Amino acid sequence: MIIELFLLAIITLLAGTIVPLLAVSVNRRYIRTISLCCPIFASLFLGALSLVVLFSGETSGFTLYQPITEFSFSFVIDRLASFFLLIIAIVSACVALYFSEYVEHMDGSSRRNILCGFTSLFILAMVLVVSSANSFCFFLFWELMAASSFFLVTFEYTHDETKKAGLFYFFMTQLSSLFVLLGIIMLYLESGSFAIAPIHGASTLPITAAFLVLFIGFSIKAGIIPFHKWLPYAHPESPSPISALMSGVMLKIAIYGLIRFLLDVFTPDLWWGALILAAGITSAVLGVIYALKEHDIKGMLAYSSIENIGIIFTGIGLWVIFSASNLPLLATISLLGALFHSLNHALFKSLLFLTSGSVVHATHTRDIEHMGGLAHRMPYTSALFFIGAVSISALPPLNGFASEFLIFTAFFTSVAFVSPLFKVLLFICLALFALASTLSAACFVKAFGSIFLALPRSPQSEVAKEVPRAMLIGPGILAAACILLGVCAFQIFGIVGFNVPLPDMFLISLLLLGMGVLVYVVLYVTASREVRVSETWGCGSRSQQASSEYTGHGFSEPIDIIFSAIYRTRTKNERVFFDLKNCIFREGTGEIHLLKVFEEYLYNPISQLFMQVATKVSRFQNGCLDTYLLYVFVTVIALIIFLGWFA
Amino acid sequence: MNVDFILYIAINTLVVLAIAPLFVSMIKKVKAWTQGRSGPSVFQTYASLRKLLTKEVIYSPSSSRIMRITPLITIASILVAALFVPLIFVPEPVGGIGNIILFLYLLALARFFMALAGLDAGSSFGGMGSSREMSISAIIEPTTIIVFAALAFVFKTLNIFDMVSRMAPGLPAAPTLILISISLFIILIVETSRIPIDNPETHLELTMIHEGMILEQSGRNLALMELAAAVKLTVLMGLLINLIVPLGLATSLTLIGILIAVILFVIKGSILAGIIAIFESSMAKKRFFQLPSLFAMAFFFSTLIIIIEVFS
Repeated sequence: MIIELFLLAIITLLAGTIVPLLAVSVNRRYIRTISLCCPIFASLFLGALSLVVLFSGETSGFTLYQPITEFSFSFVIDRLASFFLLIIAIVSACVALYFSEYVEHMDGSSRRNILCGFTSLFILAMVLVVSSANSFCFFLFWELMAASSFFLVTFEYTHDETKKAGLFYFFMTQLSSLFVLLGIIMLYLESGSFAIAPIHGASTLPITAAFLVLFIGFSIKAGIIPFHKWLPYAHPESPSPISALMSGVMLKIAIYGLIRFLLDVFTPDLWWGALILAAGITSAVLGVIYALKEHDIKGMLAYSSIENIGIIFTGIGLWVIFSASNLPLLATISLLGALFHSLNHALFKSLLFLTSGSVVHATHTRDIEHMGGLAHRMPYTSALFFIGAVSISALPPLNGFASEFLIFTAFFTSVAFVSPLFKVLLFICLALFALASTLSAACFVKAFGSIFLALPRSPQSEVAKEVPRAMLIGPGILAAACILLGVCAFQIFGIVGFNVPLPDMFLISLLLLGMGVLVYVVLYVTASREVRVSETWGCGSRSQQASSEYTGHGFSEPIDIIFSAIYRTRTKNERVFFDLKNCIFREGTGEIHLLKVFEEYLYNPISQLFMQVATKVSRFQNGCLDTYLLYVFVTVIALIIFLGWFA
Repeated sequence: MNVDFILYIAINTLVVLAIAPLFVSMIKKVKAWTQGRSGPSVFQTYASLRKLLTKEVIYSPSSSRIMRITPLITIASILVAALFVPLIFVPEPVGGIGNIILFLYLLALARFFMALAGLDAGSSFGGMGSSREMSISAIIEPTTIIVFAALAFVFKTLNIFDMVSRMAPGLPAAPTLILISISLFIILIVETSRIPIDNPETHLELTMIHEGMILEQSGRNLALMELAAAVKLTVLMGLLINLIVPLGLATSLTLIGILIAVILFVIKGSILAGIIAIFESSMAKKRFFQLPSLFAMAFFFSTLIIIIEVFS
């Protein structure tokens, strides 16, 4: 049954890809609706099959086509794969629901058909990556995923920003594929097959090298710092539902790859875990610190994705450390934390991207400084965004808390077991982890406050309207899932068969609700019920103005100053005075220059190096036939000498 | 969930609600004494709260539903957090109540809503308050978590109930307890917005943090916010007291035992309130951007405990 469902899902997604491409010149709504219905149906099939596999725990596999003996297109669906299939299914269904309305408000006439087709193809590629049974198959679909997402990112290819983002994305994603391919080839040389199967023996140099190469490949795709730069470029420029898919699901595919190879192929060393942990913590802290500084709503969400991927990597790192030091219970908690956070991040991040898409749609700007006051104008969108914000800030009783709680618990209980040196490392990581967690709360207070609260700060947000109902259903389902997974986290883990040390969040939620209701009733009976809506104190001005509000920049200013060493903000003041004693100011200039550390110190030097090498190499290619004949001649001579020497 | 636990919920909540305003007034009283004034009565806070409850609520026209639900959510989450710290009676923990991580995050939940409410009315004071509060809470968090991890490490449990009832697998030595209590004291000062971090008595825009956030609240909503702040103070004081001197905590439900426990807790709490007041009086409020260095000190201090514990 599982295989039939799987094939059905694939065929549906293929249909969703082909239909709009066949009717590419027909600018009709029904074509796009049909195309986007396919992912929804496919998600239903995938969701059903992954739930069956998750509960029953049985693994099923099949081979679709075997061109040569060493390689076949075969697929395996086990519990891990089905978990990630579930993530893909939930998010794609909600995104497609939202997209079917969103796409009608976009520019691009019949070209939008292609967008819908490629969305299906992108989802299909992700499904196939997750269910691939061998590493070469994995790589092929990985590449399909990269290519199809590139076309989605560059949909608005006429904009200069989008062009730059697309190129950046294409380069980074190809770099990632290159590393993954290299890793797979190294594994093939070591084991002699493409099967994703354990490599026996100690971790020798080639195996370690293969791990490192794969790790870099997956890190680039997942957006781990310092390979993160493509996220803040690509996410803001792509259509919001596509950002939701990429951030919510595609990054998780990289996580899946890492977990799959660590679990099934390698026998990890302790220091591998320390490496993953360090990468994760760095990304978590720096990601959220940069997110606080970002005032492009989608750029902020992109940086926050980097933070959350960091949290997931932290969980994975802890899992590797604990399993290498023979602490199976703690290892399970950390891995479950990482996996659960993958699911949760997929839910709340796609929720946030979709609702921010609605906000951008309503206000025609991505700058949060030009928003404000939207809570009155877009009540439903603001409520949905709010649920996402609470979840991502890891506040109880929603789902973000449940997964971070597992990782915290692993940290807290681990220190009694590992060696002293690791204890110190874990304590430092714990402190940084906590820092990232609270900074993300600060970041989303700022975001929600600037976008939705107080007075509108621009004419566009003054006249913003609530989005059509169809654009609320998809995010609504995601928000409901966030609440459900948070409140019933303990019960859900129980049903799936893991006994985790989570507090009973259902009880806590009931207590919270009970206390709230009790206080309300007591107040209703005893206190004054009078309510007046009236101007409050505004420093003596007659009525409040948007210009006197605290802006997003103002909100994050204290954090800017405290972490100025990380932001590397350069301020420059030049003043000219009338008098010699510098008392009477005449004129002056002041500028604040935000240093993009990674871009200026890492990316640009490397790209310059490549450009230099490329300039030198390009001299060989001068377009003159004689030179090419010379090359051929030299090559033939060299070949003859070489063969003569060895034959 | 047994009968004992339901009774515990009722007793703990009632006791904390009844005592919290008293401690707030006591701190004010002792501070007044150190300044050579006689100060308000120790029951002044009860009277102020009652007065606020009879006043009308005023909402700014630009405020949204956040402003309206924040007082309820704040008090609810602080009261649930209060359940995590047994003040007078320790039952068997149920369903993860008493977990220190969850305790911290319930406080964070209240803070999140308060900060949003500060931004909601669109006045610059509220925004200033929430911006500062979120910044401070972020930079103190590493210290807080390290102190709590140290607690979990020395007691070998994550549950506050087991820690205070001394049923935990690990029992710390006296020097460790003293070190931990100093760190907890710093956290108490920071979390409850007291001098040298913040000044709870001022409404001067240059200095206020917590008061800035709740400046737009009025009437019964303000009463709830003030009560929540008082309860938070009491709970953190209770945590410190009961970890260091759990003497007198009832472990079974008897009327006499509870009465003795309440009296003992009030006495211990009054002493701690006095210490807090004297600490506050002996300090000046620090400049906002000098706070990170203060926190760094607290951080190194708490890391020291861990290093001593790890390598001893």
